[in-house]
Amino acid sequence: MFSMGTLRTSEAAALLRVGPETLRAWERRFGYPKPQSPPGDHRLYSHGEVVALRDALEQGLSIAAAVSRAREALSTDTSTLVGALAGLELDRADSAMESALALRPMERSVEEVLLPALGAISDRYGTGGAPWAFAARWADGWLRRAKRLAPPPIRGRAILVGDATRDELDPDALAVRALELFCGRSCVRVMALPVGVASGLSDVVGSLSPDAVVIAGGHVPDDDVALWAYRVRAAAGPLPMALFRRSHRGANVRTTGTRLLPDMPFGAQRELLALIDGRRPSRVREIGAEPVRDGDHEHREAQA
Amino acid sequence: MRRLRAVRPVEVDKGGLEVVSFCGHCAMRPEPVAQAQPSRVCGHCGLGLVLQATVDLAPRPDEPFLVIDTTLSVCAVSAAAEVLLGIDETQAVNKHVADFLVPADANAPSAENLLALLVEVAGGAGDSRTAVVRPRQEFGVRFRARIGPCGPPHAALLVLT
Repeated sequence: MFSMGTLRTSEAAALLRVGPETLRAWERRFGYPKPQSPPGDHRLYSHGEVVALRDALEQGLSIAAAVSRAREALSTDTSTLVGALAGLELDRADSAMESALALRPMERSVEEVLLPALGAISDRYGTGGAPWAFAARWADGWLRRAKRLAPPPIRGRAILVGDATRDELDPDALAVRALELFCGRSCVRVMALPVGVASGLSDVVGSLSPDAVVIAGGHVPDDDVALWAYRVRAAAGPLPMALFRRSHRGANVRTTGTRLLPDMPFGAQRELLALIDGRRPSRVREIGAEPVRDGDHEHREAQA
Repeated sequence: MRRLRAVRPVEVDKGGLEVVSFCGHCAMRPEPVAQAQPSRVCGHCGLGLVLQATVDLAPRPDEPFLVIDTTLSVCAVSAAAEVLLGIDETQAVNKHVADFLVPADANAPSAENLLALLVEVAGGAGDSRTAVVRPRQEFGVRFRARIGPCGPPHAALLVLT
């Protein structure tokens, strides 16, 4: 997805006044600037990363030193966020994320700034006290706000997330929220339900018509998760199942054909999209057009 | 008016010495370009920035060298120096120069002389001099080094010969 915050290879190279091949040579040698390259798409560079490197090159003595300085400039957002959360300053925490978003896309802002900052808070204070509770609640709220700004689910895909985290203070819960956000930003409809919820589950599954089910989090015991998964399958039929942030329990989960997703939410989102996009033809439709039901296609073919 | 093609403009430093440009990675001399604001990135290897030093100090393409700033941090390691010292530029930048090179001159009273010289030169104050150095943790290997100012910005160039 192209956005104002990204540059194509030729644009990034022009901004840095080098050739595209030089940019790729830097990527191989220094790992920077790091492009996002969705499968089959062009490489897209973060505008913030490229500008930070351009500024560092102007005053640098070597490419390696400039890359180091540019990385340092970008990492200050994480330090600022950690400082704001440790100081219980909500406004400064919001500002730190705004600064991060000015330099990176949402996915990388979350993975490179928000989640590492929360990791630093948990390392410093543990996850049982007030500092963690404050930071986790702020991060949860921030991710939910970001999710509300996600584009409509025009991809025609849906994912049901069985939330097996303890509560919003569970350290895995933020990664689960991030996964929901990233899937939502990929125009996928996402619904998260606690795995303890059984009543009305078949109605939800019937309404959502999920393409995959993700069991996320490691707090709920395997037996409860297996029961929930059985109920979902009873309502929706066989569906691809994936586990997220449950790897320490993965060997014991009683599901068949279950896929283990990477621990980082962006990697998990990429695998999930590949999983559901490879499952059946896309039902992509334009916003405002009539919804396309599975039966419509066969009906039109029969008419033709 | 006839143009003398064999004559080329020569840049000189404050002391009147000829200054040449070279890549901070491969040490190649950049081709003259007509752009108003040419890129600082080397057009040969693309992995170094173009620096300037006096002609007697600037490295030849086969000479290993390091660039050090006023904080004595390594800022650049040439491709030849990577091979010679067995270090990787990406790992070496921002580390103290003494992590890689130490004085090996038996007549020098202490290590501070080399470091003081580097600080002085990196600040743009000193002239080119020579010193004897060896890789840290290695004995029986010594290199003569030309040390002098380079830039921009101000830094010390240490060429191993």
